[in-house]
Amino acid sequence: MNLITLKNKNAQEVSTLLETKGQDSLIEKFTSLGLPHKMTEEYHYFDVEKLLDHDYKTLDYIPKSIEEGEKVEIVDGVVIKAPKGLRVYSEICESIDMEHFDGLYYLGHLLSPRVIKIEVDGDAHVEILHKYTQSDALINYRVEISNQANRHVTMYENFETGDISNTLVLYGYDMHIAQDSTLRMVRLQTMSDNKYSMVSSHNVNVGKNANVVLKNFDLGGDNALQVLKVELGEHAHIDAEHLLYLNDDSKRGTASQIIHRGEHSTSRQVAKNILDGQARGIFDALIRVEKTAKFTKAEQNAKSILLHKKAYMVSKPQLEIYIDELEASHGATTGQLDEKQLFYLQSRGISYLEARKILVIAFANTLIETVKDTRHQERIKDAFEAVFYASNKE
Amino acid sequence: MSIMKIENLEAKIGDKNILKGLNLELEAGKVHAIMGPNGAGKSTLSKTIVGHYDVEITGGDITYKGKSIKDMEPEERALEGIFLSFQHPVEIPGVNNAYFLRTALNAKLKYEGKEELNAAEFLRAMKKHLEMLGMKSDMISRSLNEGFSGGEKKRNEILQMLILEPEVIILDEIDSGLDIDALRQVSEGINKMKDGKRTFLVITHYSRILDYIEPDYIHVLKDGKVIKTAGPELVPYLEEHGYDGIKED
Repeated sequence: MNLITLKNKNAQEVSTLLETKGQDSLIEKFTSLGLPHKMTEEYHYFDVEKLLDHDYKTLDYIPKSIEEGEKVEIVDGVVIKAPKGLRVYSEICESIDMEHFDGLYYLGHLLSPRVIKIEVDGDAHVEILHKYTQSDALINYRVEISNQANRHVTMYENFETGDISNTLVLYGYDMHIAQDSTLRMVRLQTMSDNKYSMVSSHNVNVGKNANVVLKNFDLGGDNALQVLKVELGEHAHIDAEHLLYLNDDSKRGTASQIIHRGEHSTSRQVAKNILDGQARGIFDALIRVEKTAKFTKAEQNAKSILLHKKAYMVSKPQLEIYIDELEASHGATTGQLDEKQLFYLQSRGISYLEARKILVIAFANTLIETVKDTRHQERIKDAFEAVFYASNKE
Repeated sequence: MSIMKIENLEAKIGDKNILKGLNLELEAGKVHAIMGPNGAGKSTLSKTIVGHYDVEITGGDITYKGKSIKDMEPEERALEGIFLSFQHPVEIPGVNNAYFLRTALNAKLKYEGKEELNAAEFLRAMKKHLEMLGMKSDMISRSLNEGFSGGEKKRNEILQMLILEPEVIILDEIDSGLDIDALRQVSEGINKMKDGKRTFLVITHYSRILDYIEPDYIHVLKDGKVIKTAGPELVPYLEEHGYDGIKED
């Protein structure tokens, strides 16, 4: 399949090309937004057309019987294992957000009307492992997560690959965070040197008094964009943190919209980006405060360090506000490592290269050390040091 | 015996010439105090010795143990045994203090061809220094200088000095921001290092610190030059007459 064939097509043509039935409203949303291209704001710096214009092998997503395992294991879009006591099944998605800003969100649902549903009962720690094994393939799947009111769930998301050169992964979550509950999602992504691309288009709906923490440690190579839409209800809160480390000529980042709909909702978005080589990083983030969201508090901050003169960071923190009764701030800084700090370390006999490494790791650690579970914190630290040291050998 | 010789040193920061033909000889094992008014070039002198990126040497030379250091990298000067206690130590969030101290010590041990210390050996070695400086043990598990008070930062500088055991120790306004108790503890740490072999360069514009660290020589720096060198008897004269009362040698 070549996705570029869907470009500038009307609803009838898209329906015929995708062989869909009974999905008129989705087709309509997709065609109104269109296939993303370089003028689409959130994809402007991502060269998405090049990724879509490729003849990908399509896969069969036939649900298999799910074995019992320690974690939810999804191989090329199909669940093969899940822990006992967790409800994981495949079903037609009936809770698609009809106000998402991303065309690929709708395309993902059109290509995979059946989603992987994960229902978490009670307080739980869940690990999700995504494995990709196919090269030259379009791997498309979506995951729907829901929890119970008054419960606290922590999820750890990891990725493993075989040879996935020239593969495009389109996946994403629809998360429904119940009233008075908490969901923490810690995502670690280190896939690299595979010439793959990934667009993960998420939709997160945060109920009244609910609390969501999304920590994304994006240490992979090649091309990947996380497209995130979050809606906050009354007294709902989100902490969205993102650490990005890029090298070579990879292009990765986040395009997000956090929408405050409920009164007293709060959001905090922090991005730390470290770019080396000729990499391009993207942080295109909008916080929108609707008229209904009085007494909102919103904070957004992006800090980027460029380690190479050819590295390039696009930071676009944005606030769109329709009320007066709120507290909001945003900011972005991009620069090199602090000369004073470098010199201080050197003045104690630490070489320039070692000092540079210490400072980069320290910058990353300010986010990594916010992961409460020490085992996972150490795992992320190790992963960061592994990718950083691999590309900064003396 | 001279350990460091500075001859006709000229240096600038940006477009401003600050050191203008400075001559100074440091005798090994002695305490040399550099005194002078604000803007005389005292801090620039210390920065120049340790190879700070702000400073450009435009003339003259600095020799240490008979070898010119002016083209050496800052870390090489440190590994050779030159240590600067900063007036305003920088905060580095995310860098664990103990990790930093051990990295610095191991860099030195490696340079000297000695065996590096593991974490447990290092902590044992450091414990006695912490007690002597009145430092809480949690200070080494915190980020380097982050959120430290002025006194804690200075103690941390002295802790580094005690661990790294340098040969030439430059103390840039070590007493600034210290209360009497902290000053006493910091001075104790410094005096502990006075063994007749290490050389101290104490940079100050008040004589208070010299009540605690007894100098062998006083050098008066004015307008980028050392204008007078004398013994400790110069201190009371300076207190009475100020720097304007000093005539160039």
